This record gives sequence, structure tokens and C-alpha cells, in this order.
Amino acid sequence: MPLLDQSLVDSVIKRALRSGADFVELFVERKHNQSISVEESKVQRVSSGNDLGAGLRIIHHGTVSYVYTEDLSEDGLFKTADLAAAVGRRGGGRFALGAVSGTPRQPQRIEVPPDGVGPEAKIELLLEADQAARAVSGAIKQVAVGYGQSAQDVLVATSEGIHHADSRTRVRLMVHAVAERNGEIQTAMEAPGMQRGFEFFDDTSAAEYARAAAQRAVALLDAAPSPAGQMAVIIGNEFGGVLFHEACGHGLEADFVGKGSTVFTGKIGQVVASPIVTAIDDGTMPSRWGTLAVDDEGVPTRRNVLIQDGVLVSYMYDRLRAGQQNHPVTGNGRRQSYQHLPIPRMTNTFIAAGAHAVEDIIAATPSGLYAKKLGAGQVDVTTGDFVFAVTEGYLVEGGRIGRPVRGATIVGNGPRALHKIDMVGNDLKLAPGTCGKEGQGVPVSVGQPTIRISELTVGGTGVIPAGAMRQ
Amino acid sequence: MSPIGESVLSRCKQRGAEDAELYLSRGTEFTVRVYKGEIESLVSAESRGIGLRTFREHRVGFSYTSDFEPDALDNLVDEALLNGRYNHADEANVLPEPRAVEPLAGLVSPALAGIDPQRKIDFALEMERRATSLDPRVRRVSDALYSDGSGQVEIYNSRGLQASFDRTVAYGVLETIAEQDAEMQSGFAFTHGRDMDQLDLAGVVQEAVENAAGLLGARPVPTASVPVVLHPHAAAMILGVLASSFSADAVIKGRSLLAGKIGEPVAAGIVTITDDARLPEGLASRPFDGEGVPAGRNELIAAGVLKGYLHNTYTAIRTKSQSTGSAVRSYKSVPEVGVSNLVLKPGELSRDALLARVSNGLHVSQLSGLNTVNPVSGEFSLGLAGHWIENGRLTRPVKELTVAGNVITLLKKVVAVANDLRFMFAGGFCGSPTVLIEELPVGGL
Repeated sequence: MPLLDQSLVDSVIKRALRSGADFVELFVERKHNQSISVEESKVQRVSSGNDLGAGLRIIHHGTVSYVYTEDLSEDGLFKTADLAAAVGRRGGGRFALGAVSGTPRQPQRIEVPPDGVGPEAKIELLLEADQAARAVSGAIKQVAVGYGQSAQDVLVATSEGIHHADSRTRVRLMVHAVAERNGEIQTAMEAPGMQRGFEFFDDTSAAEYARAAAQRAVALLDAAPSPAGQMAVIIGNEFGGVLFHEACGHGLEADFVGKGSTVFTGKIGQVVASPIVTAIDDGTMPSRWGTLAVDDEGVPTRRNVLIQDGVLVSYMYDRLRAGQQNHPVTGNGRRQSYQHLPIPRMTNTFIAAGAHAVEDIIAATPSGLYAKKLGAGQVDVTTGDFVFAVTEGYLVEGGRIGRPVRGATIVGNGPRALHKIDMVGNDLKLAPGTCGKEGQGVPVSVGQPTIRISELTVGGTGVIPAGAMRQ
Repeated sequence: MSPIGESVLSRCKQRGAEDAELYLSRGTEFTVRVYKGEIESLVSAESRGIGLRTFREHRVGFSYTSDFEPDALDNLVDEALLNGRYNHADEANVLPEPRAVEPLAGLVSPALAGIDPQRKIDFALEMERRATSLDPRVRRVSDALYSDGSGQVEIYNSRGLQASFDRTVAYGVLETIAEQDAEMQSGFAFTHGRDMDQLDLAGVVQEAVENAAGLLGARPVPTASVPVVLHPHAAAMILGVLASSFSADAVIKGRSLLAGKIGEPVAAGIVTITDDARLPEGLASRPFDGEGVPAGRNELIAAGVLKGYLHNTYTAIRTKSQSTGSAVRSYKSVPEVGVSNLVLKPGELSRDALLARVSNGLHVSQLSGLNTVNPVSGEFSLGLAGHWIENGRLTRPVKELTVAGNVITLLKKVVAVANDLRFMFAGGFCGSPTVLIEELPVGGL
């Protein structure tokens, strides 16, 4: 079923053009969500929701106006077109949008649409995961498991005659385990997800992920407070890529670049990383969390090399910034929903695989921290300064993995750390996440192989010996 | 009752719901972003949505929609009832009985609707223009925006509750870039009110410029154990981390670091923390909560002692207490437990008098990594930036410091609070004055 009748799409665009706009774009979205949560081994919540709405973007001489509505009747859309024309201001700027090029791929094929699977099968999966986590140890005191699915259909039509659609179906599992012993509490989580239908669970065992989370929470009970100071840090693969995403990836988005508010501004062709670093944003990877057939401006996605062998090759663009900065589009124009303007965003962003086996990287490290899993973090996009929590960490002593540590954070500067990457592993993996920017959350993948940063600041509760505190 | 409310509730009854509750929200938005003296983008919209809870044999079902077409509303009812079939039955799943709600003045500025959009655009342009002409090191603005909105919440339930309120809000956000040699620093500030004319243009400009320029040339300092002064914004962000631990739901689920501590000292005696939903200037103020229960002022920590938790109807019944009117939600979610305006009570001291107590210490204006704080154990390891304090005065800027510890330990080490209450968004609308904390080990060079 088309989201909106073609003749209605055309007449809405025509009506908005009457304001004298250079460009009109209609974005229509329908999304169905379902989520199920199990806590205290009971089904606490099955909920679902429907989002339906449209956003109309008009550009007058470089000035962008945006109006959105949930009323998709002809009356409602015409009213929205008239409002867009009325609030629109004529800018003094040059009108230039990056031209849409490339052929859209087919939307991701879904074998078993999750909407067609009853809640029973999903609940069974969650209860199994809950039991698996609890069976790990008597120290597991709380387990929360959740299932989420969403099916989003979008339509992008413009006054240039572009008319593209995409359909994105995602399923995800979440497991959160809390372990407690003698008043000490530790937590761990796992959250695998793909752009697939319910067939995702044919080869993904919810129980296995649940056990992994529970085992980690229990292991952390025995972890000693992390030491603090400068040291070599090995960052684990998969979600470890969040560090590159946050501390470097955002700095390569063309809106920040256009305002000169990132350290990567004007550095195309320059060495910005160690020569063993290649970084890629690829919106075309099958089934990945951030994959799109077309982005939210109707631009077919592509594989964009950002950094090649340490040299900065490309930024990530939406149509507006591609036009302003005279660069081809890259398929990175994304928005959270019809209520938002598209802006440059990452899709699936990762550091490419290198030569080393993980064991070799550890063996080559006389002392340091192995940050196997990272958690939440915070970054200043302008400077690239970051802080990340290490949710699974070990000391490295004499080229071997030593005792587990807890409460560690890594503190540093993204662009400087890129130069200090001195080993890149061969175990590239991606992980799903939700990236936030200007109040808009979009699904992305982060990823990397295991990497080593020769020197980074580690903050921890086991701080510095008392004598050193009063230097 | 609105026609939509009536028809949805009657369909719920027809379809076998014993009880039902409809949460309807509508709003308008106007946002303008400017860059280099031009409008970068302008957003104007009206939006709406409905969330529905159904109750049958103590099983709750929930569904939401932004589509108000009749068949979509029928589907809303059917989905909620279907979802409810799978949820476990819990006798605490009930609707609150309607209670009289005291109106709350000051949430709406009627003037907002009459303000010409051109004046709003000019406000944003003026913010940017002034921000780039105050300090020679600040020549660029990375974000300057003005935004306002009005919202209306209506709740109807099958126990006869019919309640609604309106709220308006306006704010300006400014982010500047200061440059010196090859160094860049960004500075953020915001101003808020019920309409544009309540915004502090000069204040937001000065603060964003000072925040960026003030940290230029910041250097790490050697590791030391010193008294630490938290700027109100830094302290408010720590309050934001504590916020989820006041939730009775977090307590029940073993996710609160305040679990089992009612009546016990959890902070220094000088610390009093309240959650006040009726604060006229509070952006989270509301006459009633997400279930229609009157919202009030809840003292959570009084003179250092934990007094209680925040409840919605469900957690109140489960723990045999009273709802504190703390159900928070949007139309897309069921009522969870959360804070409204969370305030650390200001003291008598001026900020200068508080600083005068420190002969050698650290003033923290920026905290990073707060989202890495473990909300269950309270353990943290944060990045700090700010200024060194010498004899009560802020001197050289410092950065790349870390401090590790535990939120509870930090609360117990508070030795003074000033009288300069400031608010910011941090997991709720959180307000704090400047706070002095006794010696903390601060990691540096």
C-alpha cells in the first residue's frame, strides 16, 4: 500500500511551490513499533504504537523552512503547504542542493515480518533468556530482558521529480543483568539487533546473550578498582567502535565542517591518523542497523571511505551541505522522524580490519589496560575531547591478560588518539546503537577490530597511591 | 470531554475493558536557527498524539498513535487490549481515583501567541551578532537558535477523571567558539522563560562567550587533594544523575543507590533536596502528573536524611504508600516514575563568600562523562575542567583532570551551599546553587 497517493503528493508539492520556493520536498513516514519487557521473570509490558506524519521542506534562496503534520488528509496537507509558504523567508543565499545521483537499491528483504509473529513466540524467547541469565549464578539478583521491533516506511518526493521510497524493519533484543554479593552491585548488558525480520532469532540465541551478560556482571564482582594514569590501552572490537564514532565520526559530518567547528575542517588530503588506520561509513551493508536503501532525502546510500591509510578522504554530507560545499552527495542525510529536518548523520561507521590477531596485540603490550567493552561516553565535537566508561576491562601485564578491573574510564582527545593507534586487529565486528545529535536519535552501527592506542589517560577509583596525591 | 476522548473510552468499554485511560497531547513548535546573519532553518508545526491504557483483570495494555482517523483510533483500542492479554496480572495495576486538582498559575504566557515571528528571528540574529562582538577571541558561533512552543495535556479515564492544563515555553540556545593560536574551545549557554520577552539575551550571550573564552589556555595540573567548588550547572548535573535513584520503581527493581535508606543519613546535614512540581519558574512544573494525580512538593532529603521516594499509582500500591504525583510520560509511553523540578536547597552564603573559604582549590565549570556514572552503585570517574582557586579567586584555567568516587560519598562531603540557584536540563529540570565539597583527590598530570 503506497504511503500516499501519487497525485496527492504532486498536488501538495505544486501548492507549496506557489510561494515562489526554489525547492520543495515532501517526506512521509509510517512506523509501527512493538516492545515487550520481562522483569522479575514476568511479562511486565507489551506495548505498541503507530506514528504517521509528513514533513514539508521548502527552500527559498538557501533559506530552509520546515513544517510537519500528523494530518495526512488532503485538507491537512494543503493547510501544511500553505503554512510552509507563509512562514518561509526568502534568504539572500545561493540556492544549491547536492544533486541526487545513483540508483536506489531494493529495500532490505525481510523473510519473516515481525508484525506477523504473535507476542507468544517473542515472550517465550524472553523468558528463556531470563532463565538462562538467572541460572548463571546465585549472585544474579535482577534480570531485565526486552524485545523491540519497528517497521518504518518512508517516501521522499521533491519538486525536481524525485520519488523514492524505503522500508526499514528492525528487531532487537536487550538483556540487563544485575549481580550482587556482600552489598557490592555490578551490572552488565547485551543488546544485539539487525535489520531483519523475526528470522534474526533463527541464528541468534537470546539465551546465549543473556548468559554472557550475567557472566560478565558476576565476573565484575571480583574485579579490583582500576588504576589511573597514562598507559597503553587496547580497545576491544565491536562496540569499541563507539569511540571512533563519537570522537572522530561526528567531526567528519559536513554541517560541523561547514561551520569550522571541528578540528577536521580543511584537512582533506592531510594525514589525520596513523597510516594503519582506514575508516569507512557504509550505508549499503546488508541487514546492518544503520543501512538504508535511500537516505531520508531520497539519496541512494553508498560506501564512503572517510580516512584511507591515515589520510582524510571525505566528509559525510546531506544534500544541503553537499550543495553549499560543492561536493557530490554521500547518502548521509537522515532524520529521526517526519518531525525533523534532515542533517548529516553516520550510517554504519567503522575502522577497517588490520593485520594483527588479538592475541598478538596483547602479547606485544608489556603493561596497560584492555578495555574489552566500552559503555556510555561523552564527547565535545569541537575539540574531540572524550570520556568513556569501560564496562569490561582487564589489566595487561607482561603481554598477558591480568585481573579484571572495574570503574575505569578512558579520557582523551579523538583526533590525537587517531595518531597514536599503533596496532589494528583483524577481528572487525559491528554493533547496533542509537546516535543522538541535535535532539534527533537515529539507528547506526559502530564498529572496529581490536585496536591499541599507545598512550591514553585512564581514570579509575583505585587511583594513584596516596603519596602521589600531594605532589 | 473531547469527542475523541468520549468515543475511544466508549469503544474500550464495548470491547471489554474494565477501565481505560486516555492521554492526549497537542502542541505547537516554532524554531529558528541562524548562522552568519542569515536564517539557516525555520520550523513551524502543530502536532498531536494519543496514548491509551486499558485495564482488564489487573492486566494493563498500552498503545499509542499519532493518526486520528476513525479506523486508526479503533485500531488503537484493539492493539491496547490485545497487548494487555499477555501482561501478567498485578493487583497494583489500577487507575487512580479522581482527586481535585489545584490550578497552577504561571505555566502559560498568553503573550506568546501574539509575538510576531520576525521578532523571534531577530532575537536569534541578535544573539549571534552580540556573541561575536564581545570578546576578540570569540568570532564564531556554531549554534544560535530560538525556539518556543505551547502544549496542552488532557487526561480522561473511566473513573470520571477529566483534567487538562496548558503550558508555554520559550528558550534561546547559544554555542560559541573561542580561538587562540591553534586552540579551540566551545561555550554553551541557554535562557528560558514562558515567552520570548522573558528571555535574558544579554545574559545568555555573556555566559556562552565566557564559557568558551574562559577555558582557552587551560592546562592540566598536578594531581592533588583539594577542596572542590562546583558551579551551579555542574552541581545540577550531578543532581540529574541522582534523580533516577529517587524513583520507587528503581528501588523495587534494585536499581537505586538509595534503596533501603529511608530515615538514614545519605548526605551532609547541609543538604536538602526537594522535587517541586509547583515551582512557577520550573519548566517541568505541572498541576497533575501523567495519571492525573495532583502533583506537589516532595521533600526527598531533609538535612541530609532520606525522607522518601517518588511514586506513581502502581509503586504506591505495591509499597503500601501514597502516589506523590510523580508519573511522567509522553503519549508514546506508559506513566513511569520520575522527577519534575529537582532542587538542591540554596543556603545563605553568596557565591563570593563561599569561594572566599577556599585558599587553594578547584572550581569546576565542566563535567564530562556523567552518563558513565553507574546509577546502581553510584560509582563515577569524571573528567573535569574549570579554574584553579587561589585565595577565594578564580585564577588560571585548568583541564584534563579526573575525579573518581561515589555519588553518596560526594553528597556527604558537601560543606557549604551558596544562594545562587540556577537550573538546567539534566535528566529532569534540575536546580542547584554553587556547592563546596571538602577535599577530593583530583587526578591530573
